[in-house]
Amino acid sequence: MSAVAFREVSKRFGRVEAVRRLTLEVADGELVVLVGPSGSGKTTALRMLAGLEAVDAGRIEIDGRVVNDVAPRARDVAMVFQDYALYPQMTVRDNMAFGLRRRGLPRAEIERRVTETCRTLGLGELLGRRPRELSGGQQQRVALGRALVREPSVLLMDEPLSNLDAQLRVQARGEIRRLQREVGTTTVYVTHDQVEALTLGDRVAVMNQGRLEQVGTPEQLYDEPANAFVGGFIGSPPMSFLPWDGALLGVRPEHVRPWDESPPSLLGPIEGRVAYVEALGRETLVGVRTETGATLVTVLEGRARLEVGEPLRVGLVESGVRRFGA
Amino acid sequence: MIDRREQWLAHAVLGAFTLIALAPVVKIVLGAGSFATAWEDGNFDSYLRSSAIVAAAVVAISTVLSILAGYAFGLMRFRGEQVLFYVILLGLTVPMEAIVVPLYYDLRDVGMTDTYWALILPQAALSTAFGTFWMRAFFRSVPRSLIEAARLDGSSSWMTLWRIVLPLGRPAVLTMVALVFMWTWNEFLLALVMVSDESLRTAPLGLAFFQGRNTSDEGLLAAGALIVAAPVVLVYLFLQRHFIRGTLSGAVKG
Amino acid sequence: MTRPPGEPRRVAYLYLLPGLALFGAFVLYPLGRAGWISLFEWNGVTRGTWVGLENYGALARDADLRRAFAHTAVLLLFYAALPVAIGLLLAGAASRTRVRGLAAIRTILFLPQVIALVVVAVTWRLIYQPTGWLGDFDLALPAVGLIGTWVTYGLCFVLFMAGVQKVPRSLYDAARVDGAGPLREFFAVTLPAVKGEIAVALTLCTIAALRNFDVVYLTTAGGPGDATAVPALEVYERAFQTGEVGLAAAIGACLAAIIFLLSFAINRTADRAART
Repeated sequence: MSAVAFREVSKRFGRVEAVRRLTLEVADGELVVLVGPSGSGKTTALRMLAGLEAVDAGRIEIDGRVVNDVAPRARDVAMVFQDYALYPQMTVRDNMAFGLRRRGLPRAEIERRVTETCRTLGLGELLGRRPRELSGGQQQRVALGRALVREPSVLLMDEPLSNLDAQLRVQARGEIRRLQREVGTTTVYVTHDQVEALTLGDRVAVMNQGRLEQVGTPEQLYDEPANAFVGGFIGSPPMSFLPWDGALLGVRPEHVRPWDESPPSLLGPIEGRVAYVEALGRETLVGVRTETGATLVTVLEGRARLEVGEPLRVGLVESGVRRFGA
Repeated sequence: MIDRREQWLAHAVLGAFTLIALAPVVKIVLGAGSFATAWEDGNFDSYLRSSAIVAAAVVAISTVLSILAGYAFGLMRFRGEQVLFYVILLGLTVPMEAIVVPLYYDLRDVGMTDTYWALILPQAALSTAFGTFWMRAFFRSVPRSLIEAARLDGSSSWMTLWRIVLPLGRPAVLTMVALVFMWTWNEFLLALVMVSDESLRTAPLGLAFFQGRNTSDEGLLAAGALIVAAPVVLVYLFLQRHFIRGTLSGAVKG
Repeated sequence: MTRPPGEPRRVAYLYLLPGLALFGAFVLYPLGRAGWISLFEWNGVTRGTWVGLENYGALARDADLRRAFAHTAVLLLFYAALPVAIGLLLAGAASRTRVRGLAAIRTILFLPQVIALVVVAVTWRLIYQPTGWLGDFDLALPAVGLIGTWVTYGLCFVLFMAGVQKVPRSLYDAARVDGAGPLREFFAVTLPAVKGEIAVALTLCTIAALRNFDVVYLTTAGGPGDATAVPALEVYERAFQTGEVGLAAAIGACLAAIIFLLSFAINRTADRAART
């Protein structure tokens, strides 16, 4: 029995189909990331799981129980919002205790949980402060704490890191990963950032325009994208695409090699001209514009001595090439 | 570069009209005779007490009712919402002159004229129309995620209102209270029609009768006028920004 | 569209109930009653007689009532046109240069809006005493009008200032660089920016002109003779002094209708102006 299950769940807003027949299972204790561009339906799916949006068709199950008509408070889910949604006039302690008090937990138990969660998240000295006195990173941790202190069956996170600056984001990411493993709560995490998805998720579900394109481990998505969209969305830099033999080939930069490296084992040769050169220090990204008009991106070690406009012949590593219907 | 002369002209014009606005007030303040006499002879202590009772009741009733109704309009979805809201908007435009006649005769039939309730209830009703509109605007400005977080935490709509959302609305409530207080304190027509018992006379009504008895004694009249105007003016001076902002946004949207 | 589970639905009606009940009982019901009463000829004591729309016909035929409404038209000049003009003048002056003490000026200019109209009436009666204007058949109406001007020009100023402050400074600078003098600048930059506010000001001022019972009752009581008779006063006198309650209700209903239509129309214009 899975902890969370979407079974053919659909939702529309007016004429727009936000979520189309989503079917997805999350195992107990797993961290699944819903990733996709804006409008992909990932947030809507999360909100339906929380009970903040009604389900038009299909079933949502938590621990085997159909919860379509169950109010959020009865679902035993906790959520971290993108804007944190901390209660502005309450202290950090009251913010975290609020949900527990509503559920009628005894005072001692509330105290214990709040203190412990604060310790885990390093919020000890902030208990008496109000949200507006906290930094963005601190607010984010309080929001996380407020969710964790409830010890929910399912933890939901709606782009919780998108309001943090880049450095803090990386740090917070690691903390969330560590915490989730420690506490073991089933977690559904929504983000538009595919790097975040790949580093956080046990499994990642890629969504696009309301449809689930593919769900799998980060490695699976990276190595075996199910379609061109997933290939182009996952990985940075993303896959390059080349029309070939009536189909579309997708290939990652590391599988595009200059022809003179080891010609016999490469697919090609493919004639092209250097379109751009991006020196990243340790490696260089080179965009090669082919005769078909498609640009292949290759990554070369160190600093490549290439000039824009220079002709360059490349080949593709066959094992890394994915074929998609055109 | 602004012309020196222009700047002077602008200041002069503004200054002139400011003085014009102030002049009558100054005349009253300076011309006020014996407050003690006005107070005693004019019975103003009784009048002020009546006004205070009525104003306090109207403010209390309309504030609570406006918060409740505004909350529903602002943060809940229900059938008939649009229609009911238009009805409230309609209420914003209804002048006392239109309803004072039926109110008098109907209340007379049930023996309720010459009571504080005859003054309190109609004004509370009109103020609630404004207040609902006002509080709705505030509630709609609250971030949805805050309400949703509360819902997930298991908060009931009642708890969310009083513990989470309303604490954010202190300025909005304060403005509403200030405006309703002013309108109620200054109301004359309703009092004139409903009240004949002297012990129930509100301040404006008392002043009108005072003028009737003292057309010659300017000093006394000025003192009485000052007594009646003072409470609202004092509140205004403390809460100017609220008064002005309240009138502006209330006017522009309503 | 279905609602998410747990979102307040029927409970909304409970929140609305007290307010709507009070409002219904003491505003809507009387409004309806006013309409009903206006269809009768009634002296307030004995049984009334059905006259249908006769009372409304009287509004057009009765010379006294026509005069009262004509007076309102005159008063509109003083309550609306003049204050709007003054308000624009003052806002234009304040927008052109940096004014020291603008906050204090604003506080004082808005003061007349806060003072009880009864007090305003008593005060101005004292002011007019030595001039005798309130007793003059020709000057009484303008004299009353000026009181209205005094009460409302501050409101107009504050309204227009709010509109002016939304104009980016750069627009004024650009106009100035183009060599615009004060008049040109006013018509090119200031005036267009406050179109919406002018509409609102006109609405509020007109409503004030229609609801001037307090001032008229305490300064001239409609006199001398009929020189300052106004609809608001007519409502009171006919309902409680001459025993023409039905007619009074009709006048009151008319006032309400005019105010309602005005608010509605000007709101539409304001919306359209705001959208441009």
